[in-house]
Amino acid sequence: MPDERDYPEVQPAQPMPPQHSGEIYDDLQFEVKESLGDRLMNWIAGLPWWAIILAVVAVAALYSMFTSAAYRDVLRALTDNPQVTTEDLFEVVQIVGEPTMIVGRYVGESQDSVSTVITSLLDDVIDSELVQRAGFLVREDPATITIQTESGRVTIPRQRITAMDPPDAGLGDNVSVEYIERVTVTGTLTARDDKTLTIRTVNEQIETFDTDRILSEETTTTPEGEELVRIEREGLSYRGRLTALSQTGISLVQEDETRVELRRADVAFLAIPTLTVALNAAAAERTIGPDDEVRIGFVQGTDITRALQELDSLDGIPVPLRYGAGAARAALISYADLAAMMGAVAAGELDAALYLSGAEDRLAMAEWVENNPDAAVVLPTPPRECQRNCTVTVKLRDDVVEGRVLERTADTISIQTVAPEFVVIDRDQILENRRTEPGACALNNLRGCNAGIFLTLRVTFMAYGLALIIGLFFGLMRVQKNPILYAFSTLYVEVVRGIPLLVILLYAGFVVSPWLRDNTPLKLSDEWEAVLGLSFGYGAFIAEIFRAGIQSISRGQMEAARSLGMSYPQAMRYVVLPQAVRVVLPPLGNDFIAMLKDSALISVLALPDLLQLGRLYISRTFRAFEGYNTVALLYLLMTLFLSLLVRVIERRTRLPG
Amino acid sequence: MTPQTSTNSTPIIQIQNVHKRFHTLRGTVHALRGVSLDVQPGEVVVIIGPSGSGKSTLLRCINRLETTDSGRIIVDNIPLTGAKNINKVRAEVGMVFQSFNLFPDKTALENITLAQRVVRKRRKAEAEARAHDLLAKVGIPDKADAYPGQLSGGQQQRVAIARALAMDPKIMLFDEPTSALDPEMIKEVLDVMLALAREGMTMVVVSHEMGFARAAADRAVFMDEGLIIEEGEPDVLFSNPTHERTKLFLSKIL
Repeated sequence: MPDERDYPEVQPAQPMPPQHSGEIYDDLQFEVKESLGDRLMNWIAGLPWWAIILAVVAVAALYSMFTSAAYRDVLRALTDNPQVTTEDLFEVVQIVGEPTMIVGRYVGESQDSVSTVITSLLDDVIDSELVQRAGFLVREDPATITIQTESGRVTIPRQRITAMDPPDAGLGDNVSVEYIERVTVTGTLTARDDKTLTIRTVNEQIETFDTDRILSEETTTTPEGEELVRIEREGLSYRGRLTALSQTGISLVQEDETRVELRRADVAFLAIPTLTVALNAAAAERTIGPDDEVRIGFVQGTDITRALQELDSLDGIPVPLRYGAGAARAALISYADLAAMMGAVAAGELDAALYLSGAEDRLAMAEWVENNPDAAVVLPTPPRECQRNCTVTVKLRDDVVEGRVLERTADTISIQTVAPEFVVIDRDQILENRRTEPGACALNNLRGCNAGIFLTLRVTFMAYGLALIIGLFFGLMRVQKNPILYAFSTLYVEVVRGIPLLVILLYAGFVVSPWLRDNTPLKLSDEWEAVLGLSFGYGAFIAEIFRAGIQSISRGQMEAARSLGMSYPQAMRYVVLPQAVRVVLPPLGNDFIAMLKDSALISVLALPDLLQLGRLYISRTFRAFEGYNTVALLYLLMTLFLSLLVRVIERRTRLPG
Repeated sequence: MTPQTSTNSTPIIQIQNVHKRFHTLRGTVHALRGVSLDVQPGEVVVIIGPSGSGKSTLLRCINRLETTDSGRIIVDNIPLTGAKNINKVRAEVGMVFQSFNLFPDKTALENITLAQRVVRKRRKAEAEARAHDLLAKVGIPDKADAYPGQLSGGQQQRVAIARALAMDPKIMLFDEPTSALDPEMIKEVLDVMLALAREGMTMVVVSHEMGFARAAADRAVFMDEGLIIEEGEPDVLFSNPTHERTKLFLSKIL
């Protein structure tokens, strides 16, 4: 026996365990080697639900923590900017109820103490339905009267009567009664509990502004004795660095680093620096070599660096100035004002004059050129307006505010233009809740989240559900012996599979939907157009998945089920489909992820989905890098989460043995 | 014509001059060329014959997993060709397949209860009680919750037999029930079939298990090329065949 101490202890190879008397399969053990990636994926897929969700949340939190304000800005834009909570649960509710349903009127803090009778609320916010009936007065009591009309007896509460003719009618007299049958309240639902709904019929609006903007002011007194003011005020002025300029909007950063975004429609006056170039007549024809010196003049205060940069990027400028800005040596000479500089141009002291100024000064320069035709002058055409980063001045239009003065200090004035009005309604007395539209997007009102990531997810889920139904239906038809069913389903699959999804979506939005609108009572919303288009397009693929799944189940399964006396549908439902579904889960999961990505195509139907919001953000701010990064990352996060989910489902549906 | 003429009851299976052709891409195969066979209630018939002789096709025609081209098959007084509800006939005819065909996503218990509940409309408790009884009968009472993938071939085939028996069929068809099994598992399946035969079940068995045929069968039938060549008591047929083709076949397998 060799010296054992020289060697590390080695366990002898494990002998095969002895065969037991049990089933021989029990003792067979397979060792399957997994790659590191597989093991990692299996480990992740084996995690409990909450851990996976927690991890995703953690990733999202880290993401928002470590990225700049710019990214957070984009992220908010893409997720429909949900507020934490909202007071406006629903944008508009219209409630039809009995006239006695209004139990009070809520204004500010005095909800409990103020209680008004109905008639005082019957103004423009609450519509009442007045009914007039004529008949014989057959009964009277302190609360109601009853009249016999041609169509039958009507009992009317005295409280609701607005007019009665004759007013002093007695029993048996022929009377005509006008009364309120029901009332309608329209407004924003702000609170609800088991018994009541609170509706804000009018929004409160308060405007606070500097008193030096007041152009004129007049005070009137309403018949109720309330004083109302009407103020004409000057439009606001902004001055700052231009960050974006488009057909519809202007975006600038003021000196205190606050960003301002303005609509062009509100702008009364916009001063954007414009580069103007004047050339000496002789200089325009001179050929300037690399060693020559070019004399360029500018007015004191001009941002000459920027002016030269702008000049460099101009087309159609004669040769000398190109040298001036480029290779030739340039002498820069400053002048006190425009007149002095232009005099120097005329006198030939300057080869060129650069002027970076607002529109009015530019006209002055053009006028000077016209009056001095001896000096050849080139004005860039079209005028070279600065696009970004130069200092601009914007003035908004003047406007008018009307309302009640809340507070007036030396510098500012607060005007309540509209006072909010609340109506509390008993749920018992609601006859009809006609319309509820989702209000602001918030955590306590996710119904209101209609754009961005919410829209993408909702459309994807709805379309996928529908596509599953279509796919199952056509997949089952594809395995039938009946030639008509088979041919019809094959036609659908082949046709739809061969047309790009984008084209199908356009068909749904611009062919099918308008046709339905014209020829049937169906009016599809943009969202439904998208859902139908997506599900119709994906149904073909899912039908093929189901067909393959059903055909992958051996014929013996169907035969065994049929030999037990099951009908074809029963055998399909209880034996074949349950097995086929297991087989098709992975490809179905793949298609779901693919559909989530393809849902980006719905932006062609003018739907504000994730991608569309991203593009809007980019066109507003020109921050394409951050915008598309965030869009891509959000899609990635969603698809990663979903593929994890698919793996977990696959694991859990795996058969034992 | 049949050796069972002495019994005065009507045959439970009557097969009269049945033809069956399969149309494939390579041409037409004439699988059955005028087969006639009667099976009396309680009779056990074993069909033997070389591969491709039409044994399995004949068996599958009896519960109409295959349709026939001509001829008549009458099962339990119902002619199959015009049967309005073939499912009712099938519920009375149990079938056991060579490849078991258990439902792999269901436990043994669920395999046995499914058709009882769907076709026979039995309540859950009733179906499960029946299933447990049958599992005990086929000798695997403790495998109720096992999935087919967790069972050996012999156990799977026994579950398949229990599944067919759960419908309380009048006839059992066995299509080479032991051909896919390892030799040591064949016996446990044959034992169950033997017990079933002793209880008086009408059985048609396609099998080459001579031991089983001798022990359980009332009649053995030799088929070749879509025709019944010879039939008779198993002992007589196996030991003293009259036909040359039967002799040749038996000499190969015995």
